[in-house]
Formats: sequence, C-alpha cells, structure tokens
Amino acid sequence: MIDSNTMIEFRGLFRHFGQTKAVDGVSFGVERGTVFGFIGPNGAGKTTSMRILATLDQPTAGDAFVDGFSVVEDPDRVRHRLGFMPDYTGTYPNVNVREYLDFFARAYHLRGAKRERAVEEVMDFTGLDVLADKPTDGLSKGMRQRLCLGRALIHDPTVLVLDEPAAGLDPRARIELREMIRDLAAKGKTVLISSHILTELSEVCDTVGIIEQGRLLAVGAVDAIQHPRHKARQAKKVMEIRLIGDTQAAAEWLAANAQIEKPQTDGQKISFLFDGDRQQQADLLRAMIMADFQVESFGSRRQSLEDVFMQVTEGLVQ
Amino acid sequence: MSESSETIAIETAKSGSTMNTFQRIWEFIERSLVWGGDRLNPILVKETRQALKSRQFMVTFGLLLFCGWIWSILGVAMIGPDIHYGARGAEMFVGYYCILAFPLLVIVPFGAFRGLTSEKEDRTYDLLSITALRPRQIVSGKLGSAFLQMAIYLSAISPCLGFTYMLRGIDFPTIIAFLFYLILASAAFSMIAMLLSTLTGSKHWQIVLSVFVIGGLLCGFWAACVIAVESFDRGGTSIPIDDKWFWIGNAMFLTAYVSYFALVFLAAAAQLTFASDNRSTRLRIVMIVQHALFTGWMAWIWLTEHGEEEIALVYMILAGLQWYILGGLMTGETPELSNRAKRNLPQSLLGRVFLAGLYPGPGTGYMLAVTGMLSCVVMAVAALLVAEVIGSFGIYQFQRMSFDEAIKYIAIGYIGFCYVIIYLGLGLLLLRFVKRFTRPTILMAGLTQVALLMIGCGVPMVIQFSLVSLRNARYSLLQIPSPIWTLVYLIDRRGWRSEMPLLLIVLSLAAMFIFLINVPSVARQVQAIRVAKPKRVAEEDAQLDELKHGPQQPARTSPWDD
Repeated sequence: MIDSNTMIEFRGLFRHFGQTKAVDGVSFGVERGTVFGFIGPNGAGKTTSMRILATLDQPTAGDAFVDGFSVVEDPDRVRHRLGFMPDYTGTYPNVNVREYLDFFARAYHLRGAKRERAVEEVMDFTGLDVLADKPTDGLSKGMRQRLCLGRALIHDPTVLVLDEPAAGLDPRARIELREMIRDLAAKGKTVLISSHILTELSEVCDTVGIIEQGRLLAVGAVDAIQHPRHKARQAKKVMEIRLIGDTQAAAEWLAANAQIEKPQTDGQKISFLFDGDRQQQADLLRAMIMADFQVESFGSRRQSLEDVFMQVTEGLVQ
Repeated sequence: MSESSETIAIETAKSGSTMNTFQRIWEFIERSLVWGGDRLNPILVKETRQALKSRQFMVTFGLLLFCGWIWSILGVAMIGPDIHYGARGAEMFVGYYCILAFPLLVIVPFGAFRGLTSEKEDRTYDLLSITALRPRQIVSGKLGSAFLQMAIYLSAISPCLGFTYMLRGIDFPTIIAFLFYLILASAAFSMIAMLLSTLTGSKHWQIVLSVFVIGGLLCGFWAACVIAVESFDRGGTSIPIDDKWFWIGNAMFLTAYVSYFALVFLAAAAQLTFASDNRSTRLRIVMIVQHALFTGWMAWIWLTEHGEEEIALVYMILAGLQWYILGGLMTGETPELSNRAKRNLPQSLLGRVFLAGLYPGPGTGYMLAVTGMLSCVVMAVAALLVAEVIGSFGIYQFQRMSFDEAIKYIAIGYIGFCYVIIYLGLGLLLLRFVKRFTRPTILMAGLTQVALLMIGCGVPMVIQFSLVSLRNARYSLLQIPSPIWTLVYLIDRRGWRSEMPLLLIVLSLAAMFIFLINVPSVARQVQAIRVAKPKRVAEEDAQLDELKHGPQQPARTSPWDD
C-alpha cells in the first residue's frame, strides 16, 4: 500500500536484458521533500531503475510509482510530476539557451506569460541568465549540466530524478550543484540522485540506497547506514595508524590479528577495520609498542559513506 | 486660447484618436499573434528556428535560387528568338519543376527521416518523449516542419513559375495541378520516411534504412521528372479540366491518398506511443473508414457503369489484398492487454462482440481482417444479385448476366476469402508458437506471412515443374495451397473450371479447420473485461473535473430533495 507521503516507490522492480538482470527485485520508497541517494558501482542498475522511473523504459516485472501513479500504466501523469536529468545533456544544434528552455516549456504546455516566467525563473535559478543567447552546443560541461537541470525543472515538477549530475564537473561547479539540490529540497521537491562521488551524496542526501548487480543491498537514513545503532556494539571501526619505519612489517603483523580485517597501507599510514571495543583498541596499541613498532599516531574515525559502500558491495559487475 | 492653438489641439486630439485606433488594432493583432504562437506545435517552432539557422537549409535554398537562375538563362538561350513568337512556357516549366522536385522529393523527406533518427542518435528523443507532448503531436510537428520547408522552397521558385505562365504554352490550372501533386508526393514521402525512422533505434539499422530511404527518394525524384517530361513531350500542356473522369479520378486518388496518409501517420504515432497505451484502435478505425470509402467508390462506379460485373471482381481482389496485408500486420500485436487499455474496453456483451475487432490483439486483428474480407464478398454477392433482380424488373438498366456467370464471380471471391482465413490463421498459429521463445512483433508477423506465401506458392510450383507429366499443365490440383496461381488461373479463365468444386470443398474445409483452431485464442481476447481506474487516477480525474466544472452536486435521490 502506498503511503500518501511516499512520492517515489519501487515495488519489486525487475528489468532483464536477456540473461543480464539489470534490476533484480528492487523495492524502496522515498518520502516527500527528501533527497534520496542511489549508490552503486557501474552497471549496478541505477540508470536502468531511473530510466524506468522516468518512463523511458519498461520493467520486465514489478512497477514503480510517482505520487501514486504507476510508471507503466499512467506514464502521462507521471511525466507531469517528474523532471528527469539523465547522464547526458541532449542539446540541439542551432538553438540557444533561451530557445531550448522555451521549447521544453512549450512541450509541457506552458503558455504566454506563464511560459516566459518559467524560462526566466529557471535561468535565474541555474545561473544561465547571462548565457541566454549562447548556442547550447557551445556551452561548457558545467553549463550544460545546469541547462539540463533547468530543462528538468521547467515545468516545476514535484519529483526530480538526477542521474550522475556531478559527473565531469570541476569542484566549484560541484559545490554550486550541491547548493542547488539543497535549495530544491528546501522547496519541498523530492529528489532521487545517483552519483559516484559518495562524499557529496552524504552531505546532500537524507536517505541512501546501495545497489549492486541489480539488487538493493542496503537502504536507510545516511546516519543510520553509517552507524547502525542496533549493531553499535558489533560495529567494526575504521582504524588509522601512522608509523615511523617499516609499515609493511607492521601490516603483516596486524593481518595476523583475528580482530583486524582488510589492512591497507598508504605510505606511512595503515588503515583497517577493527572488530573490538575501546579497551581492545588500547590493548592493540600496547601490543604494537611492545612489538617495537614506532607508532606516531593511533586512532579510529567515523565510517564514511565510502567505507559503508566498500563494506556492503563486493565490486561485482555483470 | 487663440484660434491657432485651438486648431492644433483639435488636430492633436484627432491624430491621438487615430493613433489610439491604430494602437488598439496593432495590439489586437499582436495579442492574436501571441495567442496563435502559443498554440503552435512546439516542435514546429523549434525546428523552424533550427532550420532557418542551419547550413543545410541555407545551402539548399541558395542552390535552388542559383539553379532557377541558371535555368532561366540557359532555357531562354536555348529557345532563342522563338521566345517572342512561340508558346514555349511548358519547356521552361519542366526545368523549374525538376529543380523544385529535388528539394521537395529528396531533401525535405530525408530531412523528416533524419529529424527523428538524429533525435534518437543524440538522445534528445528521450527528453522529448517524457514531456507532455503526445506522439501524434511529435509526428505532426515534424510533418509541419516539412510542410514549412516545402512552402519556403516553393516560394523561392514561384517567380520562375510565374515567368513560365507569361511565356504562354502552359495554363494556370496545369501549373497548379503539377505543383499540387508534387507537394502531395513530398508529403507522402516525408510521412513514409518518418514512419521508417520510427521502426528501429539501433544505429546500424538506421544506417541501412537511410541508404534505402535515399535510394527510394532518388527513384521518386527521377520518376517525377520522367512523368513531367513525358507529359509535356506528348503535347499534354493543359490538364483536361472539362473532363468529368479527370475530376472523378482525382477525387478517387485523393480519397485513397488521405486514407493511406492517415494510416501511415497513425502508424508512426503508434510506434512512438508507450507500450501500455492502446496503439491499435485508431488505426483500425481508419482501416474501416478506408474500407467504407473504397466500397463507396466502387459502388458508385458499379452503378455508373450499369452493373459491370468486372467491377465486383476488382473490388474483391483489391479489398482482399488490403485486408490480407493489414490482417497480417495486426496478427503481430501483443495478445496481453495492459490494464490501461482495459480501462476503455466495452462493458456489455454486445459491445464486446461487435467492437472487439477495434481493440488491440492478434486475435481481434484476425477477426477484423476476416470480417472485412467477408463484408467484401457479401457486398459483391449483394451487388450481383441486386443487378440480377433490379435488371429483371427493368427498374434500372443493368448489364444482365446469367445466374451461372454470377456464381462464378462469387466463387472466385469466396476462394479468395478462404485463402485470407487460411493464411492469416496459419500466421497467427505460428506466432503463438514463436511467443514461447520471444515476443512477436509486427515486422515478424509481416515476415511470417511472406514466408508462408513463399512456401505456399513456391513448393507446389517446384513440385509441378519437376514432374514431367505436369510441367506444361496450365493448372493442377497441386497448386491448391498457392493463392497466386489458383486465383490468377481462375480470374484469367473466368469460366467455370472443372477444378472449381474440388477447390471450393478443400479450401472451405481448410479455412473452417484453421478458423476453428484459432477460435479459442480469439475468444480469450474478446472475453477481456473492463477494469476500473486505479484509485489515485480516479481521485485526480475527480479533482480535474471539479476544477473544470465546479464542485459536483450530490445526486438527487427523490423528487423532494432540494
């Protein structure tokens, strides 16, 4: 049953291309006015799921809903509510920025002053007003992304689906895009966003879902995923040790410890997952010093979204 | 106030009121233009903006003007002093016509083809398809853009065409008729090219298709030029506007043109329509209207020709071919109706029985084709009987023929009907088998019918030619599976052949057998019942209704209710 506050819902969604299961029984919901991050390696099924949600593809089985409307049975109603920004720009030759946005405004049946106002507002929001007369095929990558976002916003949709919006952007453009997404969420829009830049997602998203090989592996609020309370005692910590001297020998020594997983050396730094409490951390430090390792610093840090992603996924591709 | 200043004030007031009137008119015009511009198809607006800035349009337009100018000089030089005394306009016209035909028959239709394929290549079609534009709007926008380009090219060459009229030797109606048919051909080519562009999304097939499209368009251009040159070479410098049959022929052609154009237009739109929507009903309605128009024309000709029996035969052959081709394509539709399509199904039993042929599905398509063909045979039989009865009473002067003769024509029509049932039914069975492995498509259904026909006609022919005793026979019963050989033989002889009784029995039994095998699957599709709208859709519809018509009053339950 769809909750009236659920703006996006995937319900047992499958999409198979021959033997390849691009989406394999994905189910989750996104609440009104929240930002949902869709994380997964390349080929995990993010884009396929988003294309189905945007009514560009048909599921093999299952369904997806936008504001309660099925993308399979009522795509026309979904399209009025949804703005889709794909991972490509899709510009026309011999059309400038204003004409491009005006065309899509017309395509959403906006007329007269309402259309002009929509075009102006979108150009103002995306900062494209200064480039209004510039041909769309002459825009930089960052400006094209803004144009694409503007196109997705032109009919003032309640749901936004953004597929890798930050891909290929420089740091400034990324920060600006992040600000725009925050603004949109503040205006009550529901946003489904996929990205490879996980640090950005953790700052923007309220909830995230991790997908691999078409299957949803984890879903929930960012904090809950990073620090699962029900597993607080058992949670593995990310430990970082900086050493003076031979790190390789220290890494081998650590790997022999049953409480330590995935030790990785990076210069003089060793990081690993540690399955133990604070007392056991102190015991480990003492043991290292007793073993004549010159420890410069020793500590644990919070698990980032990247750590969770690395733990949950296995890097499998189809 | 002095007299002069009063005069100035009056003049100013007068000019002010005139200005106000002009301003009001201008504002009205401007408002109307804005209103009209808002309602223009967005694709037409976008493509016009693009086209007017594109290099391809500039080059084509420039070349058209340049070629027109060159031909004006060359043509006049070739005619020489005779231009002052002779009526040489027709010769000049043919040159300008061929110059105009190239952009209209090659550039514009290929532009329409590329219009959709390049949208798919650049992936802008994805963005377009998720807007509020309906597929029919997308197709009509692209078509409108093609028409606009035609108008621009035509306007560029129109001074030259005016020049040919002034040279004498060609009259105004002839110029108009040639241009009219050129535009019709350009629109038809554009529409077909657009349909072809919707058939595939894969790049390599698009390249293959574009080669075929270019080849076809060049052939069309060559044919148009040959027709023009031949027409004027044979001295036909004016169209026979006084001839009744000229207008009748044109009206018949235009009826066929409009109906086929609508069919191709809706087929292109259906190709762009999302899978769960009903893509078929509109097409089927056009097929029925087309059939009715064809029947109407044939009936009119038949009456005009006083019941010429050949017309009944031509009617059955053409209609049979039409229903066979369309039926073959319809059997490729998916048998599963989406819930969305089921929302509009007829609810009553009678509605389901009589309107089932209009709803999507291979079985209902088969039924529609069989019913269409059956109606042709019934109409032809009725016509022959009416001619017989009315002719015998002398109410209307019909060509009389014997009852035996009428029966022969009816038998040929009936045999054609049996072939339609058999071949479409076999195709339907094969596609049901194919469905176990892959989803059948309309293209697959078309190819299945081609394969069946090739087997049905080819195998008996090979066997007959390999048998010494039958090699030189005009017909043998081995050819029963071959509709082409059998029908050509029967139509060619037009007599009651000795094979006729056996053909009638065998084909009737085969048709009945194949029809009965298909009945269960057809019945399953006819039994599909209407489903209610989802709650959310019903809620929104109610909200929209309320916005449109105001809040609904509660229904009165008794005469005393307020």
